[in-house]
Amino acid sequence: MTLADAATATIYVLSVAAVALGAVIVFGRAARRRREERRARLAAPARKLLLAIAAGDDDPDQIDELVRLPDEVWTAVDANAVALLNKVRGEARAALVVVFERRGAAWRARSELHRPDPVRRARAADLLGILGRRDAVPALCDLLRDADADVRVVAARALGRIGDPEAARPLLESVATRRREVPAHLAAHALAGLGVGAQPALVRGMDSPREGVRAVAAEVLGLIGAVGATGRIEAALRADPSTEVRVRAARTLGRLGTRTAMAPLLDALTADHLPVLRAEAAKALGELGAPAAVDALTAVLGDAEFVVAHEAARALLRLGVKGRAALTSAREGSLGGPRRIRTVAAAHAREALAVAEIDQHRRTLAS
Amino acid sequence: MTAILVADDDMDIRDLVAFKLEQAGFDVTAVDNGLAALTAARLEPPDLVVLDVMMPGMSGIDVCRELRNDRSTSGLPIILLTARAQEGDVEVGFGAGADDYIVKPFSPRELVTRVEAVLARQRA
Repeated sequence: MTLADAATATIYVLSVAAVALGAVIVFGRAARRRREERRARLAAPARKLLLAIAAGDDDPDQIDELVRLPDEVWTAVDANAVALLNKVRGEARAALVVVFERRGAAWRARSELHRPDPVRRARAADLLGILGRRDAVPALCDLLRDADADVRVVAARALGRIGDPEAARPLLESVATRRREVPAHLAAHALAGLGVGAQPALVRGMDSPREGVRAVAAEVLGLIGAVGATGRIEAALRADPSTEVRVRAARTLGRLGTRTAMAPLLDALTADHLPVLRAEAAKALGELGAPAAVDALTAVLGDAEFVVAHEAARALLRLGVKGRAALTSAREGSLGGPRRIRTVAAAHAREALAVAEIDQHRRTLAS
Repeated sequence: MTAILVADDDMDIRDLVAFKLEQAGFDVTAVDNGLAALTAARLEPPDLVVLDVMMPGMSGIDVCRELRNDRSTSGLPIILLTARAQEGDVEVGFGAGADDYIVKPFSPRELVTRVEAVLARQRA
């Protein structure tokens, strides 16, 4: 075979392949369009009923009609129905839940939790969460160790939505396993959804030997407003061996805003701690809003660690007239100490006051 | 009949809002993006506009500002419908000139009540 023959044969083969590929794409699209048209045809009357229920019509006849729809028709509107469940509240949501329950959706979803297909497991977990099925909590907790990462995330989210405090311990433990873990921020979000009922499990989590568990527990105690756990969080800020846990404890104390948090936060601000912890302590002191912290924060305005001085300046802004007076004084260079420190303090004070001015201007324009 | 323009890129929400408002006796025009909402409002100003905040391209906030800056539409009552519930988001919404702000998930019945309240305020 000559080179020319080989080139001709190659072009021929490529052309045939291109035509075949084109045909597959065209036929594939046509088939998909036909499927979608059929789905839309089936869905049209059911969709109208669905909208009526989602709009808050609690007409029993309409609910019955929707419940009696053949599975094929319901499948065509199932995705819309689930989407609407997430988007409405009040009577409209309650009516939709009735339809799902009477169609046996929860029962079916529970049986789908063990399917080999991870998409089906995730969809089932999601639906059980949306429907708020407490009886599905143990099964969903099992899914926190699922082989598929997305299924684990959906299960965590579903547990947060259901809000049963029984899920607190499994959720906490899901963040710190070597394999098959749930990302910490997602677990924290789900735990926050459990509310104050999760407090006992979270306080116990503060004693976990695993750093990840203690860190999430410290964070979530702040998110759920667990004022009763302040003592345990203060102890973590003072003595936990992990900087990450201490940082989160400082943040939580700022969020909770209790008076006793002042002393450990002022201690964490001192120079013998890591800058990341000192900065968080400064921020938390600002959140507390206690003018008694003004002197300590002013003292670190000229700190060599940028992040510490920056957060101290922002915190002073939140401490009312006394805090602003300290910033103005630092901006004018009136603070004592070496010139280098006064210059740094003046720069941070200038920035904080400028930001406050811009914010004030923005608010004036908005009102 | 009182005319209401609804703009939301989410078909489920758009159809639901239109359905509920029509059921309540309003004449509803529904569009799926901000630019279409702006065009429709300028072409034939409705009595009230319901805007989703997060739409691709032109957001509900952008549409709200544009409507307020245009002499022919500056007085239109506008309700923002959004999943963004932070204080700052609400502030931005009202700052853009919205008359009311409804957070998703929402109650369709409450939506109608709010629409009627904003219209009543406008007419007073």
